[in-house]
Parts: sequence; C-alpha cells; structure tokens
Amino acid sequence: MSDLAAPMKTSAPLSGVLAKALLSPFWLRVALLAVVLALLEFYGRVYADPAFMSPPSLIVKAFFTKIAPQEKILEALWFCVAQISAAYALSVVFGVLIGLAIGATAFSRTAFLPIILLLFAIPQVALLPLVILLFGLGPAAKIAFGFSHGVFPIIMNVVAGMRDVKELHLRAARSMGASRMETIRHIILPHAVPSLFTGLRLGMTMTLLGVILAELYVSTGGIGYYTRVFAESYDPAPLFALTGCLAIIAVTFNELVRIAQNHLTPGKRRSPTLKIPVKE
Amino acid sequence: MERSSFATRSVQFAFLALVAGAWFLATETGSISALFLPRPLSVYAALERLVQTASFWSAVLVTLTTIAKAFAIAIIAGILVGYAVTRSKLATQVIEPVIAGLFTVPITLFFPMFILFFGIGTGSKVAYGATYAFFPIALNTIAAFSNMEQRYLSAARSMGASSFDTFRHVLLPGALPVLITGMRIGFFICFASVLGGETISSVAGIGRNIAHSAELMESARMYAWICFVILTSVTLNLMVYSFENHIRSR
Amino acid sequence: MSDTAISIRNITQRYGAADESSAVLALDDVSLDIKKGEFLCLLGPSGCGKSTLLNIVGGLFKPTSGTCLVNGRPVDGEPHPDKVAFVFQESTLFPWYTIIENFRIALKFQGIAQAEWDDRAMRALKAVGMASFAGHYPEQLSVGMRQRVNMARGICVETDILLMDEPFAALDEQTRMVLGEDLSQLLAATGKTIVFVTHSLAEAVFLSDRIVVMSARPGRIKTIINVNEPHPRSPDFMLEPRFSELRNECYALLRDEIRAAMAAQRDPQPQNAGA
Repeated sequence: MSDLAAPMKTSAPLSGVLAKALLSPFWLRVALLAVVLALLEFYGRVYADPAFMSPPSLIVKAFFTKIAPQEKILEALWFCVAQISAAYALSVVFGVLIGLAIGATAFSRTAFLPIILLLFAIPQVALLPLVILLFGLGPAAKIAFGFSHGVFPIIMNVVAGMRDVKELHLRAARSMGASRMETIRHIILPHAVPSLFTGLRLGMTMTLLGVILAELYVSTGGIGYYTRVFAESYDPAPLFALTGCLAIIAVTFNELVRIAQNHLTPGKRRSPTLKIPVKE
Repeated sequence: MERSSFATRSVQFAFLALVAGAWFLATETGSISALFLPRPLSVYAALERLVQTASFWSAVLVTLTTIAKAFAIAIIAGILVGYAVTRSKLATQVIEPVIAGLFTVPITLFFPMFILFFGIGTGSKVAYGATYAFFPIALNTIAAFSNMEQRYLSAARSMGASSFDTFRHVLLPGALPVLITGMRIGFFICFASVLGGETISSVAGIGRNIAHSAELMESARMYAWICFVILTSVTLNLMVYSFENHIRSR
Repeated sequence: MSDTAISIRNITQRYGAADESSAVLALDDVSLDIKKGEFLCLLGPSGCGKSTLLNIVGGLFKPTSGTCLVNGRPVDGEPHPDKVAFVFQESTLFPWYTIIENFRIALKFQGIAQAEWDDRAMRALKAVGMASFAGHYPEQLSVGMRQRVNMARGICVETDILLMDEPFAALDEQTRMVLGEDLSQLLAATGKTIVFVTHSLAEAVFLSDRIVVMSARPGRIKTIINVNEPHPRSPDFMLEPRFSELRNECYALLRDEIRAAMAAQRDPQPQNAGA
C-alpha cells in the first residue's frame, strides 16, 4: 500500500516530486483528453466515413478555412454571445429581485415558492414553438427563451439561501440589538451569497440551454441555419468546428461565473458544489 | 417545506385564477390576436378533437417509446460507468470533474451531430435523450458510492461481512436514496430532451406535432398539445414525488 | 441601588397550550437573585430549561408567566444590548465577516459610535491574545481560537452582564479549562456579572461562585451550591480536595435527575410483575 511509503515523502528525490505532480488529477485529466483526441484522430483518419466523422485536425483546419473567413457565420456567433449575455443579465436581475421578494418572509415563501416550483416543473421546450410564434424569428425570442430557463434556478436558490439562515445567527444578532433591516443586510443576505452563486451557475447553464435550443429551432437564420446547411451537405468538419465554437462560448460563460463566485464570496465560504440541477 | 396555511393556499389559488382570468379576458375582449392566444374554449375543443384521432395516440406512443429506450440506456450506462469510476479513488478524482464539467455545457449544442450520426428518425432522439440523462445518473451514482462513510464499511468488515455482503447490505442501501434522486432528475431531463429533440428536428412524436401546428399557424391545436404536455409532466412529477416519498419512508 | 444585578421572579415557561397533551412545561415557577459581580452557573441535565432561562434573562424569549428584572428594570421579551451581552457557541461568529468586522458589526448593532469601534475591538482582542488575527476569517482559525474571539466579542460591547450559553460545548476538555482560566481572570479584572450555562461538572465548579443545580423537566431549582474561592482561580484549585468534593456533590445531585430524564426515553419498565 502507498501508506507504507508515506514516511519517504519528505526526502523524496526531485524525480519523485515530478512523478507525483504528473500523477495529479489535473494532469491525468489533461492526459485523458489527449488520449481521447488521439483516438478520435486515428479513428477519423483510418476507419470513419468522411461524410459523418472528421478527425480533430481537420476540424481545426475547417475552422480556419470555412468558419473564420465567413463574416456571416462570425456575426451569427457574436449574435449568439450577445443574446446569451442579454438573457443572462435579465435572468440575474429578475431572479434576484423575485427571489428576495419571495424569500423576505415565511408567508411569501410558503405562498409563492410552490408556484415557482410548479412553473419550473413544466418542460419549457414544449413552449418553444409558441415563444417563436410570439417573439418572431429574431433575437427577442432567443433572449426570452434563455431568460425563462435561467430565471428559475436563480429564484429558487436565492429563496433557499435566505431560508437556510442559521437560527443561532439570528438570535445572536438580536441579542446584540440588530434591527430587522440590519438583520437582513448583515446576516440574511451575506448568508445567502453561496447559495445565490449556486443559482447563478445553474442559471448560466440553463440560459445557455434556452438560447441554444431556440437558435437550433430557428433554422432559417443564425447558428441554426448554418448547422442545417453543414449537416445536409455531409461535410462534418465545419459542423464540428461550429459546434466547437459554441462549446467554447458555453465553457467561457460558465468559467466567468465561476471566477466571479470565487472572488465575490465573502469569507471564502464554498457553496454547495454545483453538480445537478436538483429540483425540490 | 413549511406547512401551508389557508392564507398561503388562497394566494396560490388566486394566482391560478388570475392567470386563467387574464387568459379569458384577453381573448374575449379581443385585445390579443387569436393566432397568438386562442380562447380557452377553443383550446379545450381542439384538445377534445385531438385525443379522438389515431394520429394523436401514435404520436404519444412514438414519444413514450423513445423516452423509455433513452432512459433505459441512460440508467444502465450511467450506473455502470458511475460505479466503475468509484472503484478507484484516483479515477473518481480524475473523471468526476470531467463529467460534472461536461454537464454544465448544454448537450443540445451537439444535437446536429446526433442527427448526422443517427438520422432524423427516433434513433437520434433516443441517443440524444440517453446522453443527456446519462450525466445526472452517472454523477449521482458516483456521489452515492464515493461518499459512503468509511466507518460503516469498517464496521461491516469488523463484523466479518464478505465483500458481497458489504455491497448488498451496506453499500447498496446506503447509496439507494442518492441513486433514486439521480434517476428522477435523469428521467425529467430525458423527458424534456426527447421532447426538445422532436421539436427541433424530427418526423414524428409529440414535439414534432407542436412544432408542426406552429408552422401551420394552428394555434388552438398547438395550445392543446402544450396543455397535454404540461398536464402530463405535472402528473408525472406528482407521481414520482409520491413514489419517492413512499420509498424513503419505508 | 441594591447589589442585585438580575432578579428572576416566578418564571414559568410552557411550550404549547396548557390544555394540550403535547404541552411541555420547561420551567416551573423559578425564582433566583443574582448578585453584581457574581459568577453563576446553571447546571442541569439536557432539556431542564437552563438555556431557556438564560434566553429569558437576555430578552430573547418571552416567558409564559413571571418577570425578570435586570438592574431593577423589567425585561419583557426584548433584548437590552446596552446592559446584557450574550456569548453563544463559537459558530455564532458570522463566517462572511473577518474577525474585526465581526466586532464592528456587534458594536454597530449595539449603537456604538463608529469612531470607537476599532479601538474597543482591538482592546478586547488583546485581552484574549488574538489581536494579530483581526484580519482573518473565522474559518481560518481553530475552534479554540474562534471561541476565544467569540468571548472577546461578548466583552467588547462592555456591558455589566455577560450571559454565556454553553459557550465551550464544542471544545475539547483541555481547551475548555484554559478558556475557563481566562474567563476567571477576566471576571477578577472587570467585575462583570456572568451567568453561565453548562452541563460540565468540572467547568461549573471551577468557574462559579454559586452553582444552581436544576432538576429534569419541568425545570426547577433543586439546590444552590456555594463555592468559596476567590477569582482569578488557578489550575491548582482543581487539585484541592474541596474541588473533588464539590464536584462529587454536584454529580450526586444530578445523577438522579439524569436517570429520571433518561427513564422517560426508554422502554416502559414493567411496574408490577403480577399484572
């Protein structure tokens, strides 16, 4: 067992330290990614039907030859970024405001939280054609659909964060003479911050989902149009490249929220790890 | 959740009444075009006509079969992969963040590839739904088996349990609540993603019918389909919720 | 003015309506006078209402009946942060504020002018030897350090009366004793009145001028034990035979109460073999 080797650690030679660093989960993850890419490259070059599959190297090449030079596609991607930003900004503003209003008292919470949960339980994708019908084929529909996905997790987590404030903290504040407003400002709101960030991260994931669903549904313009063109022409490399761009956009947005979380949470408290959009 | 009083229930009924009332008023006064929001009665009539057609039931059957297949694949793959990963601490550390990270990227991005690989028929929807549902199930399986407290395992070993005994009487019962949560989340994600796949690009199923009625501007029929989906999903939620409570309370 | 700091008169606390079968009588007609500058411990089995009594004195709970006077003025379910400071377990340090911010917020809540905040905070932190940790978040300190800071937070508001609700419950025995010594020194230096809730016998004997032993539910005062030993007390006190005698006396008094409390949580015992 490795436990037996533990006392050696302090005097481990440099190569041992290096080996340990290379065996860290991060580098193993990088290695895993490299292996997957290599396998895809090999499979794509040797076995796959070029009408369906493309090796990673050709996808990167397709980005530079077929995506980057086309201003229309780049414009569609920028539009996508703008729509995500707008939808997310709306989700955050309304999610926090509605969440604060619902979470403010026990009565508003018991009265309104079930309504929010009911609305959240509806598979919104069934409303997608309706949203397009109402808001048209342009950005309004995509922003609306992204917003309606993003706002609920934020509301629910703000409410949950305010609800879960510790009884002992409230009592301590009261014993020090805190007023109701001071209690909200200095106890309840700071307590809710980690949960708020959980909501903000889930909200981002859901906003991305909403905007991209709407983008793909509208196949007469924007990203949806190009994915359809590439898919129908049996030319997978640019399709994969375009998808890759969208994935990079999605990852970047998620990372921005995560960085904000790490910098803005007072007391370096960790929020419950974001994994699964748990419905209550 | 807190106990609800008469007052909080009234607020909830008032909210529903307000929505229904606003729908009724807006359509009766003609302040909104019937194309966007048809009258409640015409939606009801459309729903009544719809359930009497054979095409309605065949669409429902297509969607249900797709969901069933996708969910079955997701459960098997999710639990197998999840359990295999937890067999090694290093593998858990390396792979869990990869799966969790991928899950924050909308799999919907890759939907065009599913169409490319599996065609426009139900196959692509099965694959897409299964992929989406795989993540929460695998993540919960990993959480369920890797968060098992060591002292329970030590206690079982000290009592002389074999490794099968330990699995059967300690590991599995301890993991079950989290596994069930994963499957519930997976199921509703599967439901929504199959519906979404059908809406975006398909030839049959409920989602296709909603999109098709929207294309034909048959609003009443579209609303009828949407109402059917909402009612179904609310019913399913309530069923799953009470089923889960039943299992937990045993 | 008399030398009575806190006067508890016929306090009864009932949870649930009197006619309900589930109603619980937590405190039953408790009366007690606490002198100025006294260190008084409330000792009793869990659930005997000792924390409830402390919360009533602090104005956090309103009693079902009876009155409580602090410096001659009635406490009516309203906290008096200018007269009374509370010290709970260390977890009441707000984790989103640094140590110094925790002090500032306590002083702000109490209505102290902002100019005095840092001065008072640093004085209190120095008193417990934690001044160099002012910029840390509570999470970055050990549990013992946090409790030191938490005690200092109760001190910095400079009230005459300090109410402590099992403040050392989360600490190990050794840390408890060290903090107890600090507390004894503080008492000797400042002449504060301290009411301290605990279920540790050694802690009660080591710290108190008087120990109020309470009975199991419904909470009543069973006996009051005097500990005649001047503050500050040194650890040598624990080695004296008197310490063990007092400790044993407390244990003998509590033993029956604890058995009574536990009996209510066990299988019903057959009352009479013939039945």
